[in-house]
Amino acid sequence: MDFITDALVIGLTEHAPLVLAAMGFALLYRLTGLINVAYAETVTLGAYLGMWVNTTFGLNFYLTLLPAGLLAGLVSLATYLAIFRPAKRRNVGPLELIIISFGLSIFLRYGLQFVFGYEVRFFEVPPPDTIRVLGVGVGSFRILAVVSVAVLAVLIYWFIQRSRVGLQIRALASDEELAQVSGIKPLTVTTLIWFIAGVAGGLAGAFYGVGSSVRPWLGWEEFLFILLVVLVGGAKNIRGVIIAGVATGVALAALTLQFGQALYSRLALIIAFMVVLKVRGNPLAEAGKV
Amino acid sequence: MNLDWLSSFLIFGLFFVVMMIGLALLLHLQMGLAGIGNFGIVGFWGIGMYAFGVLWVRADWPFGEPWPFLISLAFGTVAAGLAGLLIGWLIADLDADGIVVGTLGFATVVLILATTEKSLTGGAYGMGGLDFPYDVGTIKGNEASWLAIVIVLVGALLFYVARVHRSPYGRLLISLGANAPLAGSLGKPTFGTKLWLFVVGSAGMGLLGAMYGVMVHFLSPLKIGIEITLAAIVGLVLGGRSRVWGAVVGVLLTVGLFDIVIQLYAPLPASLSAQALPVLREVLFGATLIVVLMFRPLGILGRMRRDKLMRRMHGE
Repeated sequence: MDFITDALVIGLTEHAPLVLAAMGFALLYRLTGLINVAYAETVTLGAYLGMWVNTTFGLNFYLTLLPAGLLAGLVSLATYLAIFRPAKRRNVGPLELIIISFGLSIFLRYGLQFVFGYEVRFFEVPPPDTIRVLGVGVGSFRILAVVSVAVLAVLIYWFIQRSRVGLQIRALASDEELAQVSGIKPLTVTTLIWFIAGVAGGLAGAFYGVGSSVRPWLGWEEFLFILLVVLVGGAKNIRGVIIAGVATGVALAALTLQFGQALYSRLALIIAFMVVLKVRGNPLAEAGKV
Repeated sequence: MNLDWLSSFLIFGLFFVVMMIGLALLLHLQMGLAGIGNFGIVGFWGIGMYAFGVLWVRADWPFGEPWPFLISLAFGTVAAGLAGLLIGWLIADLDADGIVVGTLGFATVVLILATTEKSLTGGAYGMGGLDFPYDVGTIKGNEASWLAIVIVLVGALLFYVARVHRSPYGRLLISLGANAPLAGSLGKPTFGTKLWLFVVGSAGMGLLGAMYGVMVHFLSPLKIGIEITLAAIVGLVLGGRSRVWGAVVGVLLTVGLFDIVIQLYAPLPASLSAQALPVLREVLFGATLIVVLMFRPLGILGRMRRDKLMRRMHGE
């Protein structure tokens, strides 16, 4: 029994940002059909921006979330307007778009080191209070992360599935031309999606950053799992992504407890995801192409 | 032979450039012709390097050199080829997204295994004990002759790639890259061709990795980072990913410019070159990828030169 509760609590609290980041990535992937490798750097950027606001202005962690999320969203939006939109207009192919996003990812990852310095940085926060949940000690920031991720997940889910703009997003993703005929403006909706995805990624990054350290490779280390969760959880609806994200977090924690080494749990999960992808094939070829 | 002009730095710079040209040439077959976006190059390269190094250093060899070296080299190549078989089988019928995930995931798996299997690979610290399989007397002589061997190997690879361009096999690869379902409906074995291409390409990458391990003497997870994949991709894309000489031109202009011209001959302050230069290099490589693919997607050399048969058919 201890093993199960430990795995559940640790998995949920430690890997809550993964769910948030995967949701942002899934929105983007669903709408644009693009594997945006540079999303990893949106996550990293969220951590760096949060750390920068936190250390320069002395804001407490909860207040830094707002500027970190918004700024990461704006950067994500800027990359769309400066790079991906012009590239799409030039009819760049799907493989070339992935390589472009890979180039952007590298550019940002190393460029950040010029702006924020080479060394690993940390948030300046008081040591978190430890709260006992089901007999497992958990830091207060991680509790906050779980709560905010849950709230944001419900908000994004509601926004996509229930609101009017969400309906437009889904319409645009499934049939662009039909959506345009119905009076939906692709630019507005696409802009909004890049912004929301950026905010989600940035917040996830800030939670990752405060939980460990702020380093240029932070987003890249998590990116493979974001990608796997989205591809396997299905970009069809957000619910699948949330379920896959939570399951991945719990599985990572359980396997780490089992093997005693975090890397082995990652190894096992990568292989499991690959097997699922192979067995199921990739039914997402018809995803939208804005 | 007088080798005074050839400093140790220059040998290593040239060696790395030739190595990246080799990887970019293999990537050219996969990405430039057959349209398979392999983002896990460093995984195949690294598995060849580690399989070779671990067997050579750790095994109890009952007979003398050069057999242990040659057997280990073959083992590294075969291990990478088998990995290519597995990954190729996994991704050959997936679209670009599935291929990215599969190859990136594989590179991560190799990196994880290199770190966790401490008894074999030395873990995060790394493992030493690799050396040249011969001794000509001086260290520089050993290094220079190893460089010459790798140049010959990559030269042969260049010749092979040029041959592929003029062969029916090359036309098959090009048709796979242009429209795989069409090639399949015309009776071409698309899955098998992609799989075989992946096996051979990966084995080649593994062989190059093993030869790199010999030159650097010391294997560590730091050597199998994403920078290797990036260097090969940026060289190929800049030079022209569908041209035979694209890999050569591109790698010379990117890795060659940074690792030889700027590192050795540009008068830079020491503080800059130590920390900022490698970072600046990657930043510029990333920017190069974006700019080239936006404004000149086929790279410096441009459009593919088709062989005589194709030109005659299209009336050029």
